[in-house]
Amino acid sequence: MEFFLIGLVAIGVGTVIWPYVAKTSAPWAGWLSAVAPAAIFLWLLTQAGPIAKGEIPSWSGQWVPQLNVALSFRLDGLGLLLSLLISGIGFLILIYGGAYLKGSPHAVPFFVYIQLFMLAMLGVASSGHLLVLFIFWELTSLASYLLIGLSHSELKARKAALRALFVTGAGGLALMAGILLLGLAGGSFDLHILQQNGDAVRNSPLYPAIFVLVIFGTFTKSAQVPFHFWLPDAMAAPTPVSAYLHSATMVKAGIFLLAKLFPVLGGTAVWHDTLTLTGAATMLLGAVLALAQTDLKRLLAYSTMSALGTLVMLLGIGTELAVTAAMLFLVVHALYKAPLFMIAGVVDKAAGTRDITQLDGLGCQMPFLAGAAALAAFSMSGIPPFIGFIGKELLYEAEINAGGYAVLVTCLGFAANAINVTVALKVGISPFRHRGRLREINPKARNLTLLIGPILLAVAGTIVGIFPAILGDGLIHAAVRDVTRHEPHVHLKLWHGFNWVLALSAVTVAVGVILYIFRDTVRALARVAVHCFPATASEMFDATLAAIIRLSASITRWIQHGNLRLYVAVVLVCLCGLVIAALASTPWTLAVPGSAVRLVPMGIALLIVVSGITAIQSHSTVMAVLAMGGVGLGVALLFAFFGAPDLALTQLLVEILTLVLCALVFRQLPAIRAISSASERNIDLILSAVAGAAVTIALLAVRSAPALDSGRVSADMAAKSLPEANGMNVVNVILVDFRALDTLGEIAVLAIAGMGVAALLLGSGRRDLRAELAIATPLFRTSVTWLTPLLLFMSVVLLFRGHNEPGGGFTGGLLAASALLLKRLAESDRPLHGNRTPLLLIAGGLSAAAISAVPALFFQKTFMSGFWLEGSVWLPFVGKTKFGTPFLFDVGVYFVVIGVCLLILTRLLRTEEPRKVRVA
Amino acid sequence: METLIILLAGFLFACGFFLILRRNITQVLIGVLFLSQAANLAILAVSGLGTGISAIVQNGAASPPSGHADPLPQALILTAIVIGFGVFSFAVVLLKKAFRDLGTDDTDHLNKADF
Amino acid sequence: MSRFPLYIFLLIPLSAAITLILLQGRAVAQRWVSVSSAALLSATGFLLIETVRASGPVILDAGGWAAPVGIRLQADMLSAMMVTITGIVGFCGALHAIAEVPANEERRGFHAFYQFLLFGVCGAFLTNDIFNLYVWFEVMLLSSFVLIALGGKKAQTEGAVKYVVLNIVASLIFLLGAGMIYATFGTLNFTDIGERIARGEGSQVGTRLSAVFLLLAFSAKAGVFPLYAWLPSSYHTPGHTISAVFAGLLTKVGIYALIRTFTTAFQSEQDFIFPLLLWVSLFTMVTGVLGAASQFHTRRILSFHIISQIGYMTLGLALGTEGALMATIFYVIHHILVKTNLFFAAAAIDRTGGGEDLNHTGGLYRSAPWLAGLFLVSALSLGGIPPLSGFWAKLALIKETLGMGAWIAAGIALAVGLLTLFSMTKIWSEAFWKDRPEDTAPARALHWGHVVPMIILATATLILTFYPTYLLELSQIAARQLFIPARL
Repeated sequence: MEFFLIGLVAIGVGTVIWPYVAKTSAPWAGWLSAVAPAAIFLWLLTQAGPIAKGEIPSWSGQWVPQLNVALSFRLDGLGLLLSLLISGIGFLILIYGGAYLKGSPHAVPFFVYIQLFMLAMLGVASSGHLLVLFIFWELTSLASYLLIGLSHSELKARKAALRALFVTGAGGLALMAGILLLGLAGGSFDLHILQQNGDAVRNSPLYPAIFVLVIFGTFTKSAQVPFHFWLPDAMAAPTPVSAYLHSATMVKAGIFLLAKLFPVLGGTAVWHDTLTLTGAATMLLGAVLALAQTDLKRLLAYSTMSALGTLVMLLGIGTELAVTAAMLFLVVHALYKAPLFMIAGVVDKAAGTRDITQLDGLGCQMPFLAGAAALAAFSMSGIPPFIGFIGKELLYEAEINAGGYAVLVTCLGFAANAINVTVALKVGISPFRHRGRLREINPKARNLTLLIGPILLAVAGTIVGIFPAILGDGLIHAAVRDVTRHEPHVHLKLWHGFNWVLALSAVTVAVGVILYIFRDTVRALARVAVHCFPATASEMFDATLAAIIRLSASITRWIQHGNLRLYVAVVLVCLCGLVIAALASTPWTLAVPGSAVRLVPMGIALLIVVSGITAIQSHSTVMAVLAMGGVGLGVALLFAFFGAPDLALTQLLVEILTLVLCALVFRQLPAIRAISSASERNIDLILSAVAGAAVTIALLAVRSAPALDSGRVSADMAAKSLPEANGMNVVNVILVDFRALDTLGEIAVLAIAGMGVAALLLGSGRRDLRAELAIATPLFRTSVTWLTPLLLFMSVVLLFRGHNEPGGGFTGGLLAASALLLKRLAESDRPLHGNRTPLLLIAGGLSAAAISAVPALFFQKTFMSGFWLEGSVWLPFVGKTKFGTPFLFDVGVYFVVIGVCLLILTRLLRTEEPRKVRVA
Repeated sequence: METLIILLAGFLFACGFFLILRRNITQVLIGVLFLSQAANLAILAVSGLGTGISAIVQNGAASPPSGHADPLPQALILTAIVIGFGVFSFAVVLLKKAFRDLGTDDTDHLNKADF
Repeated sequence: MSRFPLYIFLLIPLSAAITLILLQGRAVAQRWVSVSSAALLSATGFLLIETVRASGPVILDAGGWAAPVGIRLQADMLSAMMVTITGIVGFCGALHAIAEVPANEERRGFHAFYQFLLFGVCGAFLTNDIFNLYVWFEVMLLSSFVLIALGGKKAQTEGAVKYVVLNIVASLIFLLGAGMIYATFGTLNFTDIGERIARGEGSQVGTRLSAVFLLLAFSAKAGVFPLYAWLPSSYHTPGHTISAVFAGLLTKVGIYALIRTFTTAFQSEQDFIFPLLLWVSLFTMVTGVLGAASQFHTRRILSFHIISQIGYMTLGLALGTEGALMATIFYVIHHILVKTNLFFAAAAIDRTGGGEDLNHTGGLYRSAPWLAGLFLVSALSLGGIPPLSGFWAKLALIKETLGMGAWIAAGIALAVGLLTLFSMTKIWSEAFWKDRPEDTAPARALHWGHVVPMIILATATLILTFYPTYLLELSQIAARQLFIPARL
């Protein structure tokens, strides 16, 4: 088994390095790539004997234990059969493809993808683990997508590739679900174990789901009705690809998996009915559609579809005879269909067309090709002594003994087989017959390498026809055994004596020949039949896809409409919904415990309410800004009243800055005007009232629940503040010590905001607002000369005493910033730009804050731990002060705040010319 | 008292929601500001207002006077105020830029990038 | 618990940012400072992962104040993985920035904002404190505001307006949630909240309401239906580097916060939250992928796909089992790598293929086959084609979904996968396979800075493809740690 796996790896390596190999050894590239498959083929032949005896080569290793995926390979009779086809035909295709695509820009991608495909197919054939099989399975779809799209300049090829990927991809996803359920029902993903647990799976309640999913996966892959349409379209691929993927190998993957899972899923009534009927329908439809074609490749494609239908039908019938017929037909079909495809490619190259009504007289010019074609066509027609004959005999036998459906399937089988004969004659004989219309032959087609594949395969078909035991005793026997899981009686022979089956065969050929003779009439009739359908399956697929895209466009346009306020409204609706859901699912009350109502905050609240109503009502920017200030002031006063002096101070200073900011910016915006209609306003009013109410009730409910006023972490903070953190102002200690990390983030936010504003405004605006504001009056200048040092001094005092009393780096910084800003306003003759000071302040402040975190590390303490100097210093206006790293941190905050405020406000002092609003 | 302050915060929320639902960018900005004020007030009230005594250790004492306000929400709000200021100042300038570059103060006209 | 200097993840980007402010105007030096900082971050991240794997979660009480008084930085496996991937994406982004970011953005401080962004993201992944998380979110958010608007183009400004306003609203809800948590539990530490709930402290209604507020806030940040509107309207507008880094990292911070909140702290609320989240996830998947199907512009397609895939991640969380959580974590990491790379590919397509509108681009299959290969690796991985990393992510998730009998969810997840693949082939077919249309803008040369990050990320994807075990094992450890009630 190792040999086989090394071969696989070699093919994989070949895939990766191919572009380089192709460059360096161009003429031999095709042959070089064929080495690995040839070696694998030969090795497989040596294994045929042991496998027939029941010695199964296997190998397994770990891969992804967390997901129960083991790299397990088992080559049973069925796997051997498929692997032989893949490696054998693959070997010939690589040689053929090298010659066929010589000088074509598609040559390199062809070799890359076809090797990838071969690897994937061999993986499918040899996997012993369903998920590994699935991985290879999907790889075949992918390789097929890339191969169908080889002629990617043509829209037709791209569309065909997408159809194939979409259909097989959908099937793949269903198969994945099916496999996962199979793993649940059968207790393992190991095929060997699953095959022994068939009864458990069939009796599982999951069986119907598994069946549907697996069947969908395999039917899409093997082009069963109604998923067949991608296969004829896939003929857009270059012929070597069609010959390999879409006749001999990939489409057989579905059949292979059905056979592989036959012991697990087969044997039930639903299996029997579904497979037999779908298979029969596909068989007939493929045959009828083939009659309507004139293109060689499409003819072959539809007859392939018919063959796939036959195979599925046989597996559905499920008797030992039927399985034997299926296994034999699998080989037979590959042996005639692959050479016919390759021949079609050569014909196309030689004559420049694939239209059978145009093709004529190639036989004299290319006798070897004609000979190979004739052999393959006879085999396809089921004429003795070719292997096709044996296949057909067995087929009829299986159909006649098909139980309940015997009559139906025999009749349909007869029709399909007769048409098959016609197709064989059209493809294998007609183009070579001499009718006197000789044409020029493209010399490129006279390449002997192109003939190797067709001739070898056609001859092989003849030899095994004459000596069927080569196949039957070993390969077919082993394959049938591994599908039915008991020793079969396989005995293939050419001559069964005169019986009904032989008579049926003879009539089939006769009818086929008659159909061929009246081919033009038959084609016309078939066309009429085809036109009875309103649309082809491909057209319906395209229409469905287009409909999905249209639907998705309209849904998306509905969700992603672009109106910001509606996006916000959605968030608010969700908020209301979630609050309601939460309140509906838990017990709650509205009994808010709390302190007594007092008058002063009621007054402040009134101020806030009035301001709020003004802000909503007003259509004047000035009023709105004033209302905003009113709210800010009111909140600051409430903070002060409720024992939060630091908050009050900060809020007040921030409010002032915000007002300045708004004053500077809003004057450049148009006045507020009523844009929304009255009804929109009303809806918004209701929504905001409901959302506001939801938030309010949520807050009240949280507050009403037995509040956890004890056991809060802040109790510890208050207790530790002075003894352990050397600060009397607990809020400040929290900010610079207990939760200094918050503050570090916070000053980073400030720094980003400041620099961000500067970045947004960079290079915009030349106008100096100071001149316009005419603020720098002599009185203003004089007062600023006095005020600036005073404010700066106060700010330093605030900074130093912050640890013990209200104040701190932030308020200090804001004050200092205002002082410096006033100075800038007064110095209206000094230019505003080109000043790096604010940036340096920000960088310095951040560094100070960051550095303050480090010293502790040198003393075996944690990051950001406070590190205090011994003793304390008495400072004027401040009092006794201890110095330590938290203080340094606060200094950092101080500088960042100054830097950011200066950066933002000095930038805003420069503006552009005012601009008129565009009214829509 | 908590009930009243929470109701007040709720009122501010409603005002803020209404303003942020406007099409006018100036009103949206004022709405943002209202909302952050409301949130700060709400956080203070929902963890209890206390009696108005600040959490500052008096000289000679080891811990703040009993009945002091909870310092932690205050610290959180302080951080939130500062962050809110940073965010707001950026938002103001951004919307101003949006008006200058796109020539409209109506957010309904800012929908070229969506679909 | 082992010792590991967790503060290093904050100090590296912070000191880089400070240096970059000081280096303003010296672009070359700035670029390399930025690259080295991110490289250091990812290298240290791997050390952290190994430390956590060897000896369990690492904690660090900032300031030496034992949690819950102080803020605790805590790195369990999930945090360690997220920090590391931040470093990796940050590194690739910094390299890409060398090639992509124009001089005027560098002058405006691009690199410093970029490092601040990483600072915020690292902080968010490491903190074990709800309010501290809020602060880090704001650091991250404000830097992202600036970075999105930095180019100053009209579409950027327009996208930024929505991004900013909607994120401000979400932040506000987050802040209120944090306030409610403190009011209910008297603590802010995630682990402490979990313990207090387990002890029966804190009211039921308070618990539920704060959980709901956080759910709403984080869902909006993560880009979950119907709160994702900001994402498709802004992510396709900024410079390519920023799009890529945002696409990879930012929504995942929201996902991370959801995971953290509803495992470490609010495990008790899972029964209420998760069924809701399950349906939301399905809607997210479907509407996201439909959005992608309707677009014909590379980055818009990719942006809608972020949403769709976010649905998969929240689905894993919503299933609420250890296996599903493992799948989610694996999915997150895989998606970060792949999505970032796809945006890098979009940048390359934009430059060499003539633009982002798929109608006016093409011919890249022939002119840039290596780009086709790199794109295909990421695109197929996103589409969940085996055996690429996306397949393992999907397999883990679907397996768990089916195992729990959530048939509808599994079916939708699979169907959405098909449409995902469809959108990826749309880009492939139009930009690569199709011939170059006449009216295409001329191709511009690619800088190595465009290519190297793509190769790095594609290599990482391929490693996950053939050797998913390492990441799965880490994800498993991470999921397990989240399921054990932690002790303070």
